[in-house]
Amino acid sequence: MIELIKKSTDNILNTHKIILLDEEQQQINDWLTLVASKQDKQAFSQLFKFFAPRIRSHGLKKFRQEAQAMELVQETMMLVWRKATQFNVDKGKASTWIYTIMRNYSFDMLRKVQSNKEDLMSDDLWPMLDVEEDEKEEDHLQSRHLLAFIKTLPDLQKQVVEGIYIEDKTQQELADELSVPIGTIKSRLRLAMVKLRDMMEEE
Amino acid sequence: MMINFHPSQKMLTAFSAGELPLSLSIAVSAHIELCDQCAQQAQRVEQSLSQEAWQDNTLENADFGDMLQAIMATSHETLQATKIVAKATTKIAGREYQLPTAFKKFTDIKWSGFGAISRARVINDEKNIRASLLHITKGGCIPEHKHKGYELTLLLDGSFSDAAGTYQKGDFIWLDGEQSHSPFTKEGCLCYAVQDAPLHFMSGVSKVLNPLGNLIY
Repeated sequence: MIELIKKSTDNILNTHKIILLDEEQQQINDWLTLVASKQDKQAFSQLFKFFAPRIRSHGLKKFRQEAQAMELVQETMMLVWRKATQFNVDKGKASTWIYTIMRNYSFDMLRKVQSNKEDLMSDDLWPMLDVEEDEKEEDHLQSRHLLAFIKTLPDLQKQVVEGIYIEDKTQQELADELSVPIGTIKSRLRLAMVKLRDMMEEE
Repeated sequence: MMINFHPSQKMLTAFSAGELPLSLSIAVSAHIELCDQCAQQAQRVEQSLSQEAWQDNTLENADFGDMLQAIMATSHETLQATKIVAKATTKIAGREYQLPTAFKKFTDIKWSGFGAISRARVINDEKNIRASLLHITKGGCIPEHKHKGYELTLLLDGSFSDAAGTYQKGDFIWLDGEQSHSPFTKEGCLCYAVQDAPLHFMSGVSKVLNPLGNLIY
């Protein structure tokens, strides 16, 4: 049964190649810190330039399809942009942090491909990525409960619910903005609604 | 209490690379949550995997179109990193058990009883693999059996013993097809079990269970 472990990850710990230079690591840390602290677009562009082709290449090896490799680039870099504030330089290297985001997204993608499941399990398997939102925000809609529930949705579902119900976008606009098929938006929305309904019923 | 049985380095690496099936990923994730030693090891493995992934001398040029601009046009999250502590729980045999984070999405675990053994199927959609929570009451045992494939048992609460020894909470016990065992629990236990083939009971009257192997598999 050990067959299911792919060769590519064997013996990694025994290789002693210096793969990313120290300066390169430092540079990546600095860029990500700039993105986190002031949404620095120039720094993010540098990160994109470095990582996008590498993520694509990783995705091609994993999925063997250009469209899926591109989805992996898109979603990973989107999460890096949106979640940069969670990066803590004391806890590890920026390049490793970005790797774990890519790994998590591709785990969920693979599960979708193989089992047709969109259960987005990676958040719970590698829970350090999980965060709660700050309480600073004002309660604009006077529906604290609902907003609190929406916040507990997995990120991809949350993004769609917020886009449509809070930012008033159409499904097509969201699909274009996120560069995913409209069907993906619909299925994320459907999953989110089922979850929200369950949460409301429990309440 | 010491955790004595851990996932192999190979398995930890496959987990960290996101290459294990969900059923086994849950087991490794739950073990890591209970075992600091493996949690640290997993971090080191992630670092090596990351190094390997980003090293690529054969990068092709690709046209990412306006992807970069589209991403930067979306809003940034203002999040503070704090770990969510809410976990899944399940009630069986009059007790509520807390489950590791990996079980968080399984909110409607349904138990069915079979003598001293209760089982709740967790994952059913992976080819040839079944994953269940098993609860065995005080003094219960499972007749000697072996599996055609592998059997992974992660002990989540209580303890159990077989001929090879006694296992504690957090132990990650991997058996392959050639080994048979008959686990016994003095104090009762809750386990997460993953198997890739039905149990095959080996002795006496328990052989009649073979056609029913699916019940606890």
